[in-house]
Amino acid sequence: MSSSLQAPNASRGACLRCLRRSWLLGQLSGPLDYCARDRTRLIDLLALADDELLQAVAGRRAGELADRYKRFQVDEHEQARHARICRHRNGYPRGLCAAMAPPLLEVAGGVERLAKLAAAPVVAIVGSRAPSDYGMETARTLARGLTASGVTVSACLSDGIAVAAHAGALDTYGESIAVMGGGLDVSCPARRRSLYERVKSAGCAVSELQHDCSGRRWGQLAAERIVVGLAQLTVLVEADHTPGELAAAHITQTLGRPLGVIPGRVSSPLSAGPHALLRAGAELICGPSDVLELLHLPDDRPADARPPQQPMDATVTSGLPPELKETLARVGGGCDTPEKLMSLGRDPERVLLALSELELLGLIGRGDGGRYLPRQPLAALG
Amino acid sequence: MLARAHTFTIEGLHARHVTVEVDVRRGLPGFAIVGLADAAVREARERIQAAILNSGYEFPARRIVANLAPGDVRKAGPGLDLALACAVLGASGQLTPESLERVALFGELALDGAVRPSRGTLAVAQSTQRAGLGKLLLASERAREAGLIDGLQVAAVEQLCSAVRVLGGAPGDALPPQRAAARTIDPGAAGSLTPNFPTVDLAEVVGQPHAVRTLMIAAAGAHNILLSGPPGTGKTMLAQRLPSILPALSKSEAVEVTRIHSVMGASILALAASRPFRAPHHSITAAGLLGGALRGSLGEAVLAHHGVLFLDELSEFTRPALEALRQPLEEGRVAIARAHHSAVYPARFMLVAATNPCPCGYAGDGDRCACSEADMARHRKRLSGPLLDRIDLLVNLQRDTSRDRDAEPLLSSAEALRQVDGARARQARRLAGDGVSVNAHMDARMLARHVRLDERGERMLAAGRHGGLLSARGEHRVLKVARTIADLRASERVRARDVGAALALRPDVVLAGSRVA
Repeated sequence: MSSSLQAPNASRGACLRCLRRSWLLGQLSGPLDYCARDRTRLIDLLALADDELLQAVAGRRAGELADRYKRFQVDEHEQARHARICRHRNGYPRGLCAAMAPPLLEVAGGVERLAKLAAAPVVAIVGSRAPSDYGMETARTLARGLTASGVTVSACLSDGIAVAAHAGALDTYGESIAVMGGGLDVSCPARRRSLYERVKSAGCAVSELQHDCSGRRWGQLAAERIVVGLAQLTVLVEADHTPGELAAAHITQTLGRPLGVIPGRVSSPLSAGPHALLRAGAELICGPSDVLELLHLPDDRPADARPPQQPMDATVTSGLPPELKETLARVGGGCDTPEKLMSLGRDPERVLLALSELELLGLIGRGDGGRYLPRQPLAALG
Repeated sequence: MLARAHTFTIEGLHARHVTVEVDVRRGLPGFAIVGLADAAVREARERIQAAILNSGYEFPARRIVANLAPGDVRKAGPGLDLALACAVLGASGQLTPESLERVALFGELALDGAVRPSRGTLAVAQSTQRAGLGKLLLASERAREAGLIDGLQVAAVEQLCSAVRVLGGAPGDALPPQRAAARTIDPGAAGSLTPNFPTVDLAEVVGQPHAVRTLMIAAAGAHNILLSGPPGTGKTMLAQRLPSILPALSKSEAVEVTRIHSVMGASILALAASRPFRAPHHSITAAGLLGGALRGSLGEAVLAHHGVLFLDELSEFTRPALEALRQPLEEGRVAIARAHHSAVYPARFMLVAATNPCPCGYAGDGDRCACSEADMARHRKRLSGPLLDRIDLLVNLQRDTSRDRDAEPLLSSAEALRQVDGARARQARRLAGDGVSVNAHMDARMLARHVRLDERGERMLAAGRHGGLLSARGEHRVLKVARTIADLRASERVRARDVGAALALRPDVVLAGSRVA
C-alpha cells in the first residue's frame, strides 16, 4: 500500500493489490484462454483469490510467477495511459461489487464520467453476434429509448447486438459503457474503431486488463460478466440456443438480477434462446417503457394491472392519416416490400408515396434486401 | 518527279487527313517511307511493289521517298496503301499527278493488286467531305458504307488498275449486290455492337411489376439504374429488355453509333437502327472499359455510346474499373491520355447495374443469408462511393413466391416504348434550349427552372433534408426522377406523389440491412 501512495502517476485510483491482480491476469491470459472452453469454469476461476488462481491455471510457470508476483512493484515512472479505479476507491461502480467482479478497471473517458454513468440506472443489452436485421433494429431502438430516458446502457463492443446497442445510445446522448475484452485501445478491432472513439467521447470504455494486453477469447466472456455486473437489469435480444450466446443471460441469473427478454419471430433460430428464457420465467420486454417499469417498480404490481403492450408509441401513430396508418400496420404485419403492398391491389404510386412519407417521418427504415422495417422515431422518445 | 495524294488515318473515332508526297529521283534504287509510320504502313513497301508489278505497271527502279504529312501525327493501319501506290504511279509518270489532287484514296492492297476494305470507312467518308475533297475511292465492299454520307461522291474500286482508270475519268466499279436480309448491321456478327437477342420483349417478364415500372421510368428519363436482388429474380432478364423500350436512334445519333461500328471493323450496309447493348464481364480492367490500352482501341463505355452499358455483379468489378466510369457518367465522354497519344471519345450511355444484396445473395430472404457482418461490410464498401452517387434509381427485387405463371404481363415492349416516347418528347420540348434532351442530364440550374413542386412535395423534400435522408446531390437525383415520373403521367406539374415515388426509388448506400453502426 505504501508504495502505491508514492506513485501518484501509475496508481492513482488503484491500490497495489488490485494492480497486481490486473498484472497477474495479463500474465495468465494464455492459460485462461484454454480454460475459456468451459464457460462456467472460467467465471469460477475469475472469482478465485490471486494465489488460488495461480495454483489453478499457471501450471509449470506457477513457481516462477509466484516469485514475480511477490516482487511486484509499481513502476513509479510509468505514465498511465488511462485512468484506473479499483474497488477500494470511491467512484468504483457499486453494482460491480460482487464476488466475481474485477477488482480494477482501466477507464477511457474519465473516472468521474464512469462514476456518473454508473450512478444512473444501468441496463445491459446483450445478444447474438450474428443477429437478424430485426434484432439490430430492436436493440438500437431500445438503447435509444433508454438513453433518452436517462438510463445508461452497458454492452460489449464485439459484433451484432452489442454494436447496435452502442449505436442506439449514440443516436441520443451517447451515455453508454463499453466493456472491452482486452486492454483498452489495443483490443478494439479495426472495424469498430470509429464506434469505439465515439463511445469514448460521449460515454466511456472500461477493461479489467492493462492497456498493453491484447484481446483473447476468454476476455470476451469475462467482459460479459462486467457488462452484466454493471447493470441492474439485463435485456437479451436474439440469441440461438448455444451456451456462448446465452452466457450473459446465465451470468445474470447467477447474480440473481432481473433478466428481460425481447421475443423474436417464431420461425427464426435466433428466437430459440429468448423464448426458452421467457418460458423459464424471464421478463417480457417490448420496448423501453417495459424496461423503465422493471427498473423502478420491481414486481409489486400483478401482470394484469400493467398497461397493455403496444407495438409503437400510440401518440406518434394516432396523428397519421388513415392511409399511412394502414400502410404502417401492413409493413409491421409482414407486407414489407413495395411489391407485396402493391399486390394487395393498391395503386403503385400511392404505395410508394406512403412508404416515402413514413420513411421521412422516421416510422420505417430500409432493411435487408430492400424490405422495410417499422422503427421508433427519434422525436417520439424526447 | 513529285506526286501528291490524299488519304486518312484512323485516330480513335476520327479520320485524320494525311497527305502522301512521293518523290522519285535518280539514285540507288530504294523505297523509303518517312513521317511517323507504324509497322503496318512500313510493311506497305512490299505490298505496294508487288501490287504495282502484278497490275501490269512498272515499279520505278530509282530512289523513291514517300513522305506522310503532317509529320508529327502517328499513322497507323494499312488503309494508306492505295494512296501510296497511286502517288508512286503519279510520280513515275504512269498517271497524271493532277488527277490525284481532288480525290481521297483509302484501302489496303493485296499482292495481286486487289483493293481490300479497311476499318473506319464511315469516319473517312465524313472527313473526306469535311476536307472538301469531293470524291472518295475505296474498296467496293465498303462503298455502301461511305455512301451513307450525303453529298459525297464515292467510287468503288476492286483493283489498283481500276483505281487508275477511275482517276483517269472512268466511272467506278459496280457495287456488290446487296443482300436482301442485310438491311442493317448483322446482329451478333463480329464487331457488331447490337445485342444478339433482338427479339426479346418486356412481356416475357412474369411478375416483378414494380421492377418493370421502374425500368420504364429509367428508360423515359435515361436514368442510371441499379437492380438488386437474390440470384434468379430476373435482374439480367430485365436489363436485356431495356434496349427494346428505348426510343429509336435519331439520324445524328445513328451516324455516331455507326461510325463506332465502322471503326470497330463491322461491315456496314446501313445506319445502325438499334441502340448498342454492352455487357462486359466483371473481370474487365479500367483500360478495357475506357479504351486506349492500344492505340485507337475503344473501350466498352465508348462502344455503349447512345446505348446501354450493363454491369452485372457490380460488386465484383475492380475498384479502378468502377472509378474510371465517373468521367463518362458525368460528362458523357472519355478523355484518354497515354504516353504517346491522347484522345477524347464520346461515351454517353445509360448505366444499368445489377448486384446481389449481399455476397451470398440471400440477404432479406428469410434465414438463408449466410454472410457474416464483415462480408456485408465489405460488400457495402465495394458498392458505395462514387459510382452509386451517380445512380438515380434502385429496385430491390424479391423472390416472388406468390408468382402466378399465367399472370397477365404488365407491359409489352411496344406499349412501354409508346409511353417512353411520349415522355421523351415532353422532355425534348421542355429542354429544347438547354443543350440536353433528357431529364437525367439536367444540371442544378435547369432543375430550378423546370421542376416546380407543389407545396406538399416541397415539404417532403425539406423533411428529407432535415432528417438526414437526402444530401444535396441526392435531392437533385430525386427531383430528376420525380420530373420523369410526372412526364410519364403526361403532367407538366410535379406533384407530391411523384416526389414520393422518386424518394422510395432513391438508391441507398445500405443495400442490405441497417447494420451500419
